[in-house]
Amino acid sequence: MPDIEFNEEDVLVRASQGDRDAFGQLYGRYIDRIFNYVYYRTGNLHDAEDLTARVFQRAMNHIHNYTDRGVPFSAWLYRIAHNLVANWHRDRSRRQEIPLNDLPVLPSKGDHPERNLVRSQEQDSLLRLIRRLPSERQSLLILKFVENMSNAEIGAIMGRSEGAVKSLYHRTLLALRDQIGDQNINLDNE
Amino acid sequence: MNKRKPTLSDDQLYALEEHLAGTLKPVTPPMEVVQRLRERIRFPQPEEIAWRLRDWNRMFLIFGGVMSGMLLLITIARAFFYLVGRRHIG
Repeated sequence: MPDIEFNEEDVLVRASQGDRDAFGQLYGRYIDRIFNYVYYRTGNLHDAEDLTARVFQRAMNHIHNYTDRGVPFSAWLYRIAHNLVANWHRDRSRRQEIPLNDLPVLPSKGDHPERNLVRSQEQDSLLRLIRRLPSERQSLLILKFVENMSNAEIGAIMGRSEGAVKSLYHRTLLALRDQIGDQNINLDNE
Repeated sequence: MNKRKPTLSDDQLYALEEHLAGTLKPVTPPMEVVQRLRERIRFPQPEEIAWRLRDWNRMFLIFGGVMSGMLLLITIARAFFYLVGRRHIG
């Protein structure tokens, strides 16, 4: 409903002129998506909150530099998130694997609330495998499945061509399939 | 030696994507987190305050404004005491 009133171009112009209310509208529109991305990439609620705040802080301070040259605002925002998460991992200089009890189960959109309180053992195993993947591959899977983005959109965020994203996706699935053999995940019983 | 490129069958691809879609689901951030984030974004953060302090143009204007205001106050005070003092002596 509110989308009928929402003219992103107009809101962006006002936000770049320092209108905080306009920026607030952009915040309302993208907070969930950016939080989702950061939450899956960091693996804990506290850092996800902190990094999400920094993404919007940085976006607010630099929004006057944003010009729509074929890259949508959402991609610009995700790129900030992508860079901040990469810096966060570098600063902590640790493996991507984070104990799963640090990744709290949050309610999923569109599901019955009671179904969200538990994650199946299979899902836990798969999440653990995903978190062992190199950073770029984790981002790719999150953008594809959590954010439902196309290869072209993912390419705009990761600074890669659509073909390169497609190829990386294929290699990521191959790597996952090879690792799945050691876990309790059955790909044949679907 | 016959080196074959590893591939995924359609069934495997479908099953793997199903599993991934079931695991990587969009989540809803807790309301208190959204609220806290909104508050953090509305008010200047410490780094923004530090950035403002490093902005010499702004600092020069603030310093100039304060000094001008003080000079104006001193001039008014001196004029007031001069007038009152003269009347008192007269």
